[in-house]
Amino acid sequence: MAKKPWALVSTFFLVMGMSGMALGNPPNNGPGCGLGKLAWGDSSQKESIGGQVMMATTNGTFGSQTFGISSGTSGCTNDGKIFASEKVNVFAAINFDNLAQEMAQGEGEHLTSLATLMGIPVVQQPAFFAMTQEKYTTLVQSGESSPKAVVAAIHDAMVDHPVLAQATTSK
Amino acid sequence: MVNILLLFLILLLLPLELKAQAPPSPYLQELLQQAITGKLHQDRYWHLLLHYRQNPFGGHTSEVDDPGFFLAPDGKTNPEAELQATLTYFFSNTLVGRSKQPAQCAFIARYHWLKEKLQFEDSKLFPHPCERFVSWLKELNPASITFIFPSAYMDNPASMFGHSFLRVDQKGQTSETNILAYTINYAAEVPPNAGIEFAYKGIFGGYKGFFSTIPYYMKVKEYRDLENRDIWEYRLNFSEKQYHRLLMHAWELGNAYFDYYFFKENCAYHILSLLEVADPKLHLTDQFHFATIPADTIRLLARHKGLVQKISYRPARSTLLKRKRETLTKKEASLVQKLIHDPQKINQFEFLQLPQNRKTFLLDFASDVLRYKGITDQDKTEDYRAKNRSILVARSQIPIPSSPFPVKPFSLSPEHGHQTFRVGGGFGWRNNEIFEEVNFRGAYHDLLDPDPGYTQDAQIALLDLRLRHYQHQNLFRVERFTFANILSLAPIDSLFASPSWKINIGMDTVKTSTCDLCSNGNANGGIGGALETQVFQREVFFLFGEMDANISGGYKKNHRVGGGVSGGVMATITPNWKWLMSAGYLYYPIGDRSHDTPLSVGQRLTIAKNFAVRATFTHHEHDNEFLAVFHGYF
Repeated sequence: MAKKPWALVSTFFLVMGMSGMALGNPPNNGPGCGLGKLAWGDSSQKESIGGQVMMATTNGTFGSQTFGISSGTSGCTNDGKIFASEKVNVFAAINFDNLAQEMAQGEGEHLTSLATLMGIPVVQQPAFFAMTQEKYTTLVQSGESSPKAVVAAIHDAMVDHPVLAQATTSK
Repeated sequence: MVNILLLFLILLLLPLELKAQAPPSPYLQELLQQAITGKLHQDRYWHLLLHYRQNPFGGHTSEVDDPGFFLAPDGKTNPEAELQATLTYFFSNTLVGRSKQPAQCAFIARYHWLKEKLQFEDSKLFPHPCERFVSWLKELNPASITFIFPSAYMDNPASMFGHSFLRVDQKGQTSETNILAYTINYAAEVPPNAGIEFAYKGIFGGYKGFFSTIPYYMKVKEYRDLENRDIWEYRLNFSEKQYHRLLMHAWELGNAYFDYYFFKENCAYHILSLLEVADPKLHLTDQFHFATIPADTIRLLARHKGLVQKISYRPARSTLLKRKRETLTKKEASLVQKLIHDPQKINQFEFLQLPQNRKTFLLDFASDVLRYKGITDQDKTEDYRAKNRSILVARSQIPIPSSPFPVKPFSLSPEHGHQTFRVGGGFGWRNNEIFEEVNFRGAYHDLLDPDPGYTQDAQIALLDLRLRHYQHQNLFRVERFTFANILSLAPIDSLFASPSWKINIGMDTVKTSTCDLCSNGNANGGIGGALETQVFQREVFFLFGEMDANISGGYKKNHRVGGGVSGGVMATITPNWKWLMSAGYLYYPIGDRSHDTPLSVGQRLTIAKNFAVRATFTHHEHDNEFLAVFHGYF
């Protein structure tokens, strides 16, 4: 079967890294305290946070500490879970570019996932997509300031919406 | 001898003595006795949970390297002592392991397996509620397990063979929301600023590998958006009981690290070990002895009837761009180019007169292009971002949702690929002499191997050994040994502009003015560009500037070093028939001052997934060779 005697010798000669490994610098303000504990929404540097998270995620350090399974009880961990209260903000921060594009296009998996995270029932989602498309410019302008602001702006827009208002009150 | 034996016995007894401080309950004694009688420590499942491997000369050693994973002091090498210590700790609320939980919770898969085997009585061994585990499982909300394979990425040596991890599909999840699921990912923890030692440590176990549960949307962003890698998803047919076992064990592994070995004990290997815990009838990790290549593990899973339930494809952004571009008319293509340079062109008649659905398609395509460029051309990221914003504002003013665009991959899914270990036999003719040849290649894929299942235009050939017998001289010799021959062709066009590159290190046999068959150490590297056409089926033309260094007794001063150019074409005529031709000119000013005009023409015919024949003609100065060879892949 998959017996590969020659592959053994290759270890000596390959100047390469490894699958499942990646290099990167650790984020300045982490890692180690669980995603929800990072100062997400209020930072004005959305891009740098999104970038930091991506950089840190590809770096094993961040992955195994922030998303480590049952990772100790130093008061700074949540067993790899994202804190429920921050789920929407974390998702919006990391996927802001994808969300912006899909809001303009009126559909997409990131937008659907955001709607799901915000508790919008499937039947109301087409209305939600149409709303984010219609108010795209306003929503994304808030998003330029911070990811938490875009979530708040979406929420405010829903309150004013004849159909979607129900989804916000039922939460 | 007796002394040594005595010492050994004392060492064995030590842990038992420590335990003896607290009087063990009679029920524990009963369970320990049952476990011994039932020889549970020899059970395959116990060995899977503890990651025990048989030693070459008897006994077992666990692959887990974290001492906190074991409850007996010699647990890493003693399955029986570990089982007894585990049972003992189940009676205690002492916090154990790196995760600082009671043993029943920290090692919850062990607990449930032993509970089933020994029929624990809850009244005598009180079950711990394990709130942390329960809350974790609730958060994962599992419904099934999907094996994920981001395909090879030639621009990062760490990712050349691809990666693999699991996605824990959530209840109620759809294809539109599965990015919200958590993954189970195994990766090495590499300290920041790791330099040259990165490769060495990574290969020889110098880093620790950990399991983590990174949300799938982060992985998708990393692979699809940032690295432009296609992702393959294989949903596995596990029962609720099976995936529950897998997750309990994943929870246990929060207490564990493994020394990371790039070639064998890598991501793919440890992911397989989780699948074995889900279904112990699967024998997966023991199929790999020296290297675990992620794509090979997929082929192994695919061979188990009924294991893979559904295969899904998630295209890289670059793949999406290529497929969308294929559907554009010439006029539309040039219009998009204009939009990308100046988004204000949307106000021109040429664009305004288009029907709504073409307008949205072009705007969406332009936005995809701008996002791709923003990531790959980092000097101008801000410029591309600004243009993308203008395009998206325009897009949002057309109040219809974009239509789904199904994307067909450029290469078939990896389970259609040939195996990576290659054996060949053939014969040929070199400078008026007939020879026979056998060859073996450790891994993985070269440009003339059968294409299905592999990343297009990428070659990684490692440890290729060719042995020959020259008939006339009755001479056996090592004709060639390639350590690594890696090549990446990246066709350049209006959208994509990455360099092509190649590197080769190995020995071969040369004919020089003083020597007929001389061993020669060779190092070659080149960088260049490629272009694609579609006259027959698909052709890629390439041109390299290259450096070439040789050490051989056949050369004056025993070496020659120089450089030059080479170019050629790789042509797929039918899916099974492919040509590769190249020619070059190399000048060697250092050492044996000379030049060479290498020429090579080869073709391959695929017979079956794992069988192919090829014929090649190779020319160097004073040296001509023809070779016909039959290849099998195992």
